[in-house]
Parts: sequence; structure tokens; C-alpha cells
Amino acid sequence: MADLGFLLVALFLPVFPLSIVFNALFAKVKPPMLRAGLLLGWPFVGVVLFRALEPAVPQWLVPMALFTAVFYAFRLLAMREVGIWSGFLATSVWACFWLPLLYGDQDVLLYVFWFGIPLAVLALLVGGLEKRYGAAYTDLYGGLAQTIPRYSGVFVVTVLAVIATPVFPTFLGMLNIVVASQPVVAMTLVGLWVLWSWSGMRLIQGMIVGDPSDEVIDDLPMVLTWGFGVLMLLLVVAGFALTGDL
Amino acid sequence: MNSLIVLVPALPIVSAILTHFLAATLGRRVARLSVGLTLLTFLVASTLLTLAIMGEPKQAVSLGQGWGIILFDPLSSLMAVVISGISFIVHLYSVRYMAEESGYARFFVMLDFMTAALLLMVAAGDLITLLIAWHMVGVMLYFLLGHDTQSQSAYRYGLWTFITYRIGDIPLVLAAAVLFHTYGTWSLPVIFEQLAANPDAQTFFGLAVAEVVGALVAMAAFARSAQFLLHTWLPYTMEGPTPVSALMHAGIVYSGGFLINRFAPLYIHTGDVLHWVFIVGLVTAVIGSVLMLAQNDVKKSLGYSTMGQMGFMIMECGVGAFSLAIFHLIAHGLFKGTMFLSAGGVIGEARHDDGVPKDDLYTFVVEREAPKVQQPLLMMVGITLVIPVLVLVLSHWWVAPDLYQRQGAIILLFFGWVTGAQLLFSTYHMKATNPWRLLGLVLVSFVVVVVGYTLISHAFDQFLYNDPEMASQLYRAAGIDIVWFDALVVLTTIIVVLGWVRAYRVEKLGSHIDQKPSHWWMNFYSLISREFYVIDFYSGLNRRLVAASAKLNVWFRWG
Repeated sequence: MADLGFLLVALFLPVFPLSIVFNALFAKVKPPMLRAGLLLGWPFVGVVLFRALEPAVPQWLVPMALFTAVFYAFRLLAMREVGIWSGFLATSVWACFWLPLLYGDQDVLLYVFWFGIPLAVLALLVGGLEKRYGAAYTDLYGGLAQTIPRYSGVFVVTVLAVIATPVFPTFLGMLNIVVASQPVVAMTLVGLWVLWSWSGMRLIQGMIVGDPSDEVIDDLPMVLTWGFGVLMLLLVVAGFALTGDL
Repeated sequence: MNSLIVLVPALPIVSAILTHFLAATLGRRVARLSVGLTLLTFLVASTLLTLAIMGEPKQAVSLGQGWGIILFDPLSSLMAVVISGISFIVHLYSVRYMAEESGYARFFVMLDFMTAALLLMVAAGDLITLLIAWHMVGVMLYFLLGHDTQSQSAYRYGLWTFITYRIGDIPLVLAAAVLFHTYGTWSLPVIFEQLAANPDAQTFFGLAVAEVVGALVAMAAFARSAQFLLHTWLPYTMEGPTPVSALMHAGIVYSGGFLINRFAPLYIHTGDVLHWVFIVGLVTAVIGSVLMLAQNDVKKSLGYSTMGQMGFMIMECGVGAFSLAIFHLIAHGLFKGTMFLSAGGVIGEARHDDGVPKDDLYTFVVEREAPKVQQPLLMMVGITLVIPVLVLVLSHWWVAPDLYQRQGAIILLFFGWVTGAQLLFSTYHMKATNPWRLLGLVLVSFVVVVVGYTLISHAFDQFLYNDPEMASQLYRAAGIDIVWFDALVVLTTIIVVLGWVRAYRVEKLGSHIDQKPSHWWMNFYSLISREFYVIDFYSGLNRRLVAASAKLNVWFRWG
């Protein structure tokens, strides 16, 4: 019987079926800022609780965490609602954080922010899209690259960051976890990484490709574009600076 | 010197950033900036290559702690010149070719980033830099292929490429993990030193590090170089802009050959890995060539032609001829790049005038009309048999006294012989007013091909692996039992000669032979016309996986 402390941590670093709680909450919460806060804060609480409570971790945790990560990554493939997509990806990523915690990696909080910041930006972008179109679905309107090019540029860069593409620190974080793992776990993780990439590119494709809309839609204001751009640049620089010798 | 080494991958990044930010001010003139900086990159790379040829020792510039190492060695300097040279031509070509496309500046930005990723890949001196550059090439290629953001099909096939590349990234990431786990460093030169000191080092499950990493690196190379079963992206990625096709077929697809060369110090300690590399290359070369012949779509035919050449290049690595693989990738890259870049001009001219002179070559190639005056076939066959023996003896005398003992060298000559003989048989069909002149040309061409293979292999060996012991260790690692080797050479010779006899019979007897294809032949034809059902299998798998994912989402809703 797992102790209460472990269950509490497993709620914030979601392991299936406890992951349903976060995803149910995330689906209910609509304001983009609140969603962004959840994406940044939820795993942070998990890591802090893990360090504070030092719960006894059952042996089945690693396989279960990997199952959770793969399960949600696989579901991303057909997920068309971009908001829920970001929630599923977050669940998949956070389940992986159990591994560095168990390895005694001191950089887990960095990983939380490295993944959390682009996920939060994605949540804000989804909010912007819902404001413009009423909903944020792939393959619904398409052609955003032609209709709102600045928004599309930021969207593409953000998705690349959340699926752990170089040169973002998410890539270095993921690489760190893979290198520290035993062969079977490492192979599962790299397979998971491919699923993220696959679904990420499907998402990009479903949003930006296609004929432009006849309707005039306001693009992302220049100031916000610069703001997101500088944030991503800082993320990259911080990733390189803080990674050190890995 | 250190600044020059760093400047090569840094200049295209600077170019990309400047092009992006100055596009609004300079308009389409911004392309000149991109072209100019690419030319500068090429000049710096050429300077470094000159220094390498003059004997400047290997160097490594470290930009960070433990990783971020940029290498200066013969392989990186040679590849940097090739990449920056091809990139410069592609840039120059794109200035006018892309003039009417939307996203003009974006195209040059992406092209610059792609050039930077490729240059960083060939100069990477540590595993993390290599992984970053290796991965970035796939990402950049995806966006270059999808430059036209209105084209769904360009993105669909771009995604195929991206996914194949990502699948190919898996073994490289695992190889990096095994190496770091074993040696505790990311630095490639340090890893190779430690491996040389202890070649029998073991990793997980008691497996030899060299064998495991060698196999993983080879698998990464297979995906990048479109080896059989990981090839489907190559013939279908023709939707992208022509300059991107040129860059892809002239440079990007050769990353596999480069990667195997980069890990050459590891492969000398492997046992069976290179044999598997040879088999995969052989299968790819044969299947790629067969599928190329079966296509009625010229673009797909070109794609399969590149696949066949990639198989050939990987096969060269498999026989230990690492440096020859580098020559092959450069030569074929230039050839394919030229073909793609001149395609538009040829089509444009053909719209006005087919421009084909009705000479003997035309009547033979297009109208399939046999020429009236031909050399006796027996003489040609004689040449194909005598010249290789002559070359073998001369090479033994001039180049390497132990040539007969080198299986790799014999295989190279074998390749040279087959290629030269193909050339000879093609020339045989041509009519000439002076048959002796034609015969002379045939002889010269044949000798150039066969001697070229031998001498170029020797020259590249000298430059890239100037330690003769290392070159011979590579051949030894690729070697097999001499009885098996001889048997395979004889068997392959018989198959090749039978193929020539069959081709000769079909052509000579024409309508006199039985025209009705056999049942077996028709089954084989249907198999190759469906491209061995590999595409159908992957498409079906993709559909099923996405459907299964959708079903899960229905069952679990948002949970």
C-alpha cells in the first residue's frame, strides 16, 4: 500500500490514473494565464513535496511513470484541441521527472522551468487563438502562416521548444535523463521523444499549413512577438549557461 | 587559427540573423548579404583546407566546459569546403529562382541555418554538439521542404523525412549515452584515445563498447542516408523548392557516410559491424537501382538513383574504404546537385526546342536504332578482362606492394571494373566515323575509371587517414575469411557477367526472343511497381497508430 506522501507527490508529478486529476482540472480551467500558472506550478509543487516528504517509492513506479509518459504521448497524435494537447504533453513530460528525482539529480527544478516556460507560453498562445477564432483546433482553419505570420512564427518556435528540440534547454534536460538511465529505460525515453516530435510536427502542420483565410485576423502585436522572442532566447542562453558540463 | 575554426560554422548563423533583421529594410536585396556571407564562409573553409593539406596539425577549440568543441582535422576541413561550396552555389541559384516565391527572406534564413547545422555537424568534436547539429539538420530540412506553407503535400512528405530522421536520431543518442557512461566524457578525441588504450572495454550486459556503439552509429547513418526500409522519404520529397532538393541530394543525404568516417577510430576495433554495414549498403544499392529503373516518374527515379548511390557509399564503408566513401559522396553530390539545379533550365529550353541533334547518339538513345558500325564485341570483352589485370599489376607496383592481400582494394578494383565495363558497353553502341578513335576513347575512359578508383582512394587515404596503420586496420576490420571472400568475388562476377550476357541477348536478338514475360517476372514487376509495398506498409501503420490514438482519446476523453 503506497503511503499518502507518495500519492500526494504522484498527483503533482502525475502517474496514471492520478494524472486524470490534473487533466480534468486543466480542461476545466479556461483563462490562459491560469493555465500557464498551472503548467509552471504543478510540477514545481511535486518536486518540492518529493524533497520535503521523501516518500517511500514503490518498485512499480518507474514502469508506471514510463507507461504514463508513453500513454499521454501516444494520445497526443490524434489530439486536435491545442489546449488539451499542451496538458497531455505536460503530463507526459512530468511523469519523466520521477527518473531524475530517483537518480538524485539536483537539476530537476531546472527541468521543471525549462519545460514549464515554453508550455506556459503555449498556453498563452492558445488563449490568443481562442480569442481570435473562438476555438484552438488543428486542421480547423489552417493556413495561419499566411494569415497571421508573426503568431505562427512564435507558435512554431514554442512547439519546437516543448518537444525538446535543440537548441532549447529541454533538449539538454531530456538528454541528461536519457544518459543517466539504464538501457531499457533509455530506449523507452528516446521512443517517447520521437512520439513528442511526431505529434508536435502534426500540430504545427495542422495549424500553419494551408490556404490563407479570407477573413482579416489581427496578428500578434509586434511588442508581444519581441517579448516571446526574447523570452525564448533567454531560455536558450540560460540552458547553455546552466548546463555546464552536463 | 582558432578564430578561423570557429568562424566557419558561426558565419552562416550571423548571416541568418542579419538576413532576418535586415529583410524589412533591404527588401529582396537582403539575399545578396546571405550570398556574400556564404561566399566568405567558403573562403574561410578553403583557407582551413589549404592549411590542413599543408600539414597543419589537428586542433580542437572548446567553447564551453566539456562540450561545445569545434574540430579542425582533414575530415572536417574537407567536408566544410564541400558543404560551404555547394551551399554557396545553392544560395546564388536561389537569388533568382526563388524571386517570385513568398517568404523570400525566410528561405535564405533557413538556408543559412541549414548550412550552419551541416558545418557544425562536420566540425563537432564532442557528442552533444554532434547530436545538436545532427538533430538540427532534420528540423531545418523539414522547414525548408515545407517552404511553401500552402502546400499540404510538401509538409506531408516533409513530415516523413522528419520522422525518419528522428528515428535515426534514436541510435545516435543511445550511442552517446553508452560512450558517456563508459568513458565519462563527451569529447570525441578523448573517447577515441581511451578506446585505443582499451579496445575491449565493455558496457551494459557485458557487451563490447566498440561493437555496440559501432552498430548504433551505423543505424543512425542508415536513416540519414536512406538505406533500405528507412529510404521512403527520399524519393517522395520532391515537393520542396528545387534548390532544397539540390542541397538535399548533394549534401544532406551524405551525412551517413560522414558519420561513419567520423567514428572510424572506433570501427577499427569492431568485428562484424562493418560486414552488416556492407550487406545493408549492398541491398540498398541493388533495390535503389532496381526501383530507379522501374519508375515512370522522373523525379522519383532521381530519388531512387540517389538511394542506390547511398547504398554504394555505405557499402564502401562496409569494405573498409572509408576515404573512398568520402570521395564518392563529394563526386556524386556535385553531380546530383548540378542535375537538380540545371533541371529548370533544361525544361525551359525544351519548351521552345527539344535541342536534341539527330545524330547517332540520339537515334540510339531515343529511337533505339542500332548503329551501323560497331566494334567487335569480343574485342570489348577482351578489354574489360585485360585492363583490370593490367591496373592491378601497375597498382601493385606503384601504389601498394601488398595490394593483393587487401580485400578492400580488390573490391574497389572490382567496383572500378564493373563501372568501367558498363561505360565501355554503353560506348560500344555508338557509331563513329573513325572506329579506332572510338576504341581509343573507350580505352582511355576505362583506364580513367579504374585507375581513378585506385589513385583517388589512395590520395584520400593519405589525406584523411595519414596513419597507414589506421587505414590498414580499417580494411582488416572489414575483412572476412579469404575463402569466403574469393567465393563471393567469383559469385558476384558470374552474376554481373550473366547480367551483361542477358542484356546483350535482349538487345541483339530483339523481337526474336520470346516476348511474353513469365508469371514469375510479372509478379516481380508488380512487386517493384509497388516499391516492395514498403510505402503501403508505413502508410497503413501510420493510419492505424493515429486511429488507435483517437480511439484512446474517445475512451478516456480529457482524462
